Amino acid sequence: MSRVLDVAALAPLGFVALGAMSILLLEVALSRRPNPEGVAATRSPGPAARTRIGTLLAFAASGALVLAIYAACYLFEAGLQSDFGPGRPLLQLDALSSFAIALIGLGALFSVWLSITYLPAMRILHGEYYALLLLATAGMFVMVSAVDLVALYLGLELASLPTYALAGFNRRKLRSNESALKYFLVGSFTSAVLLYGMALLYGATGHTDFAGISRGFEGGGGLALAGLALMLAGLALKVAAVPFHQWAPDVYEGAPTSVTAFMAVTGKAAAFVVLLRFLVLALPELGDRVEILLAVLAALTMGIGNLMALIQDNVKRMLAYSAVAHAGYLLVGFAAGSAEAWTAVLFYLIVYLFMTVGVFCCVVALAQGGREWDSIDDFSGLAGRRPALAALLTLFLLSLAGIPGTAGFMGKFYLAVAAVNADQIALVLILVATSLVSVFYYLRLPVAMYMRRVRHGEPPETSTSEMVVLALCAAAVVYLGFFAQADPAGMGIRALDLAGRAADFLH
Amino acid sequence: MSIPVEHVVVLSALLFLVGAVGALVRRNVIVILMCIELMLNAGNLALVAFNRVWSATAEGAALHDGQVFVMMVIAVAAAEVAVGLGILLALVRNRDSLNVDDVSLLRW
Repeated sequence: MSRVLDVAALAPLGFVALGAMSILLLEVALSRRPNPEGVAATRSPGPAARTRIGTLLAFAASGALVLAIYAACYLFEAGLQSDFGPGRPLLQLDALSSFAIALIGLGALFSVWLSITYLPAMRILHGEYYALLLLATAGMFVMVSAVDLVALYLGLELASLPTYALAGFNRRKLRSNESALKYFLVGSFTSAVLLYGMALLYGATGHTDFAGISRGFEGGGGLALAGLALMLAGLALKVAAVPFHQWAPDVYEGAPTSVTAFMAVTGKAAAFVVLLRFLVLALPELGDRVEILLAVLAALTMGIGNLMALIQDNVKRMLAYSAVAHAGYLLVGFAAGSAEAWTAVLFYLIVYLFMTVGVFCCVVALAQGGREWDSIDDFSGLAGRRPALAALLTLFLLSLAGIPGTAGFMGKFYLAVAAVNADQIALVLILVATSLVSVFYYLRLPVAMYMRRVRHGEPPETSTSEMVVLALCAAAVVYLGFFAQADPAGMGIRALDLAGRAADFLH
Repeated sequence: MSIPVEHVVVLSALLFLVGAVGALVRRNVIVILMCIELMLNAGNLALVAFNRVWSATAEGAALHDGQVFVMMVIAVAAAEVAVGLGILLALVRNRDSLNVDDVSLLRW
């Protein structure tokens, strides 16, 4: 393949990385004001000016992300496959990575739009926020296209380091500090474990690229298995699967909500795509043994995630446990391990993006004056004050619970079908049972909104950017709920087919 | 006389264990950070040791895979510490303590 194409395939990454750099420079340039003596000096601008600058930077970030998404869609449609690396591929741009890049880019774009009014409302508006967000996105782009342990490690760290800083972005608040510290300690511990696993795998096989590892893995051997176990533990920590989930609720609760949405959606998608690529490309012959392990992980994650979510009173914390539970549903697909299951997993990632962003957007829309409504009681009587917002929040929660007619149902349906076809009946039963349990805690919010008396004063106006996000997510949730496989609008796009094409390279 | 590679690998495994146990049982954030660094360096040591084994058979760009990996890890570890100390500084400004047990607003 020619050199020109190789560079073209790096376009999504380039747009986002350049976007991050330009935002850093732009912020400095815009914040400069001549002081009264006429000497040019940096002086911090007032709140109104800061909000204006912040909005401008958000537009710049959106521009970079839209370009990246467009490039990824173009690559996906063109069906290009391109390797990038010295001599052998470090990054591979194929249908799976373009699919994942478009998905992650969309999640990041939504998070940027959520931040436009949320940051000023929480009084934490600083320009570097958007740069950090874009850098983390760039790291995830590297993660999902990595076919070499070195690239995977670098991408993982590039995705993690800015996210640690973002979690602690509300730096005057102890909760945000604590969230960042816990995330940082757990995250860096994880990457050290992952690194040691990578070192052992390299020692056992003599290769750092996935194809080489798969060739050298024959026979397994103690060293290779130990390395594999450490790597799987590290990845399980990243996706917050039980028993490595304890960090998720603390981090989700303490971080600013726009960042929580970003972590929940993009971080999960990136980690699962990495897991998918690693399991299928590097360890094709280990199938059965890993499947049992993944099935146990999936069952535990679904069970404990859903049970712990029952007893939460903080909305963000409840959503964190629900995110753990959803990681469990996705792991069911991994345990099934068929081409059909990979398609179902990728489709679920699309569905999960829209419903999760939708829920977090409702929480974000209620923030004002430096505080947000994050306990379930805060939502009491919201239906009377903001009927549209309450209805949309209910829709997203029903979708998370997997009620028929919503996207969440279709997602779970395809996962369950794939698992049944792979003879994982027990897992399907657990999936259905825990989904029923989840209805209880998801419905606590609608009950509070529709059946209790008002607790709080007037909620803030929903801003335009939030309305756009809410509308897009609601439309997607309803549309995918009815037409996952059909194409009523005649656009020639079926969501399930997209996921299927992305999963295509696996067989 | 060269040191057998097994010895180096066992040393790296011991270093990794010391680091992991330390990171789990110590309560001072700075000490935990140092333990995590120890774990990373155990990984580096293992990579360099394995590189010596495999460079006998590898050719071309793959000759120095392990060593190149180590360079990347060292750079990343430096960035990681910078971010970590920044987070720690923000925490110490709000609460004058380096003990992780004092950081417990978020529970269950």
